[in-house]
Amino acid sequence: MPPSICLRSFSQLSLDRSVHSLASRSRLSPHAACFSTSAARFANPSPKKGRVVAPPKRGQKTLNVKRGRKDPQGDVGKRPAPGERKAQRKRIVLRNDNALEVTALHDMAKATILSGLDEGRVLGIPENVVDALRAVEAFKPTQGWGLFWRPATLMRKETIQMAGLLKEVEESEEGQKKTIRRVLSGERLGGKSTLLLQGLTMAFLRNWVVINLPEGITDYPAAQDITNAHTEYAPLPGSQPTQYFQETYTANLLAQTLKANEPVLESINVTTNPSLPLPLPANATLKQLVELGAVNPEASWPVFLALWEELSVSGRPSILFALDGLSHIMKDSDYLSAEVKPIHAHDLTLIRHFIDCLSGQKSLPNGGVILAATSRSNCPSSSALEHSIQVAEQLQRDPNNLLHYNPYKKVDQRVMDALKDLRDPEAKGLDVIKVGGLSKDEARSIMEYYAESGMLRAKVDDGFVSEKWSLAGMGNIGELERASVRQRI
Amino acid sequence: MARAEFSRSLRVAVECLPNSPRPRPARTMRCAHRSLYPPTSRCISTTPSRFAELTETPPEKFAAAPEINFSKEGEDDGGKPGSRLLRTLRVVPASPSYFSAKPTFTDDFIHLSALLRKVATLPTIPTYEAPKVAWKTIDQYRIMTNEPVKTQRFHKMMHILRRLNCIHPSLMPDEVVQAMKRYKKDSQPGDIVPAPGVVDEWGRAKGVGRRKTSSAVAWLVEGEGEVLINGKSLPQYFGRLHHRESAVWALKATSRLDKYNVFGLVSGGGSTGQAEALTLAVAKALLVHEPALKPALRRAGCVTRDPRKVERKKAGHVKARKMPTWVKR
Repeated sequence: MPPSICLRSFSQLSLDRSVHSLASRSRLSPHAACFSTSAARFANPSPKKGRVVAPPKRGQKTLNVKRGRKDPQGDVGKRPAPGERKAQRKRIVLRNDNALEVTALHDMAKATILSGLDEGRVLGIPENVVDALRAVEAFKPTQGWGLFWRPATLMRKETIQMAGLLKEVEESEEGQKKTIRRVLSGERLGGKSTLLLQGLTMAFLRNWVVINLPEGITDYPAAQDITNAHTEYAPLPGSQPTQYFQETYTANLLAQTLKANEPVLESINVTTNPSLPLPLPANATLKQLVELGAVNPEASWPVFLALWEELSVSGRPSILFALDGLSHIMKDSDYLSAEVKPIHAHDLTLIRHFIDCLSGQKSLPNGGVILAATSRSNCPSSSALEHSIQVAEQLQRDPNNLLHYNPYKKVDQRVMDALKDLRDPEAKGLDVIKVGGLSKDEARSIMEYYAESGMLRAKVDDGFVSEKWSLAGMGNIGELERASVRQRI
Repeated sequence: MARAEFSRSLRVAVECLPNSPRPRPARTMRCAHRSLYPPTSRCISTTPSRFAELTETPPEKFAAAPEINFSKEGEDDGGKPGSRLLRTLRVVPASPSYFSAKPTFTDDFIHLSALLRKVATLPTIPTYEAPKVAWKTIDQYRIMTNEPVKTQRFHKMMHILRRLNCIHPSLMPDEVVQAMKRYKKDSQPGDIVPAPGVVDEWGRAKGVGRRKTSSAVAWLVEGEGEVLINGKSLPQYFGRLHHRESAVWALKATSRLDKYNVFGLVSGGGSTGQAEALTLAVAKALLVHEPALKPALRRAGCVTRDPRKVERKKAGHVKARKMPTWVKR
């Protein structure tokens, strides 16, 4: 016989409530849904969760941060006109009226600039050269020109090296003039663009013809604007494989070149017989030729080629062909071909021309210097370019221990071919100028100039100079300026 | 094997039966109270139960007076044994606090007072020049003596001890040194001296510093003021000028920036933490080269590690301290 407790619990399972007493019924209620759950679920529908909080009572203040409820006008300040802010940001200021004029500041002189005697001194840039430099957009708004009375630069070791290059070209024999090609590399804010500007200054002083492709800090045109699809382009008729030329860009470049080199171009007559789409007056000077291209964009590219032809005739001045922002032209451009494929930057005629000069395929019969400055802050990645520069720097340090290309990085073979001479220990034409830190003497010289301009209010002694020199990362000139002039505690 | 184990355990259990530690009357009382339950215990323990032991009870320095043998005295007198001895004898306990329940503290106090009376005439030095001593706290003393010492009395004893500590060190008696040892903590300030840094054969000195979650190692050599951090120059590694200054602050504050070269290795944390970890590392490496700069570096705030870290989040809080916003119902 089963124990009584089992029988009792069995009877409790029963849903027939009438058999139980009143007291046991209350105990049983949770067990009522043993076999069916529906009753319990439908018995008490759960109350709504999101209860509405009553609105604030009358007279209560609530926080309302939304603007414009009571004040529909909002901000009544005058907004700047379209483009005004950008113009303000990109404006190049070369003068600070509040800075002191440094009386002891000498200008760079045509006679002595290439001698290298001025090493470690700060020299001013002559007025007419400033205009020319402004015309070729060699100044950048990020450089500190606007802090001083007038533009002046420090003749650092690398500047003297560059002066030596120009001197070498000038002193080479007539008929076999040298073409020297250099890539400027170095740390961020290390003075690469300023060194390029110093090279341009020296070329202007020595009456060279200067063609400069600036970096695209200013509005238009620029090295980055050649490739970033901001100007119109068209396939060059009769080219195989197809090349593309940029009318407007080239016309603008010609206009800039004309403005900067007017005295030189005016003094030379056209001797070759260029085939141009537009008629050229007889006995024209080079100035008229370039003007023709600058005014008529459709003729700009033939005019540029004709100009180059003219300058290659023996007895003409040497050429400085410079470009800032090298990595912009060492990649696929943003232009698309008719097959909707990206066009390589080297297929654009102007860049092709520069690359031919840089790689040594085209030499300059009258001699010249090809300069290409890299940038660290505005540079699209180009692993082939970086590798070539690293190898060239390694060659200068230790020729026996060469680097190898990282096989896991995509290689741009056209760039590798163009910069072949950088990696070649035998080739002397193309090399790297490493723009490093200043020495302590140079740092002292430039800081004394800062102090004389009234922009640095401290006693410039050895301790101060070496402290700033260390904080600026072993004499990085941009950091030096940032730490001593721009930052006031 | 198992059988032998069992028989041994059984023997031990039988042995511990007669010398049961519990007092009998208490046992019977408890048993009477729980008479409803079966009297058999539920488990058999084979190990003999033990008293809770006081492991660190120090041995008392005195002993009770030996028992007086009355029978021996009374034999030659002929009268009642021990009657003469009782007349002549005044029993004095060895400890003055013989009749107190726990005499250790009183003994200590009396011993120190007597010692002070003995050495009171020795020349003293001012308190601030006395050697720094970490005395035992009152709780530690209470545990040592196993006695509820009152705070005020303890402080009186500490007063004597501090006075003893002020005896001129060159004339300090060995007796006092031994006596004070009982009241000192096991480790004294200045006991742990870190191994002094050395300038190695390449002229490098190493320093390690930490801040927040960053840690830095700095190698300092004599040089021109060149700084490399993780193989990069100072402005390349630290974008902010403030961080650059704090990284080499130890050198700058002591105007040694142009006399040393720094190689730093930093890892972890953000740039502020890394810069300030470098401050500490460079300062420590500089101290190896020039130990006399320590006060100057301390004034510049380069010696002490900043212990602040991110406070942990707590359950029920939104962040470490923030509480959820109050919502009506």
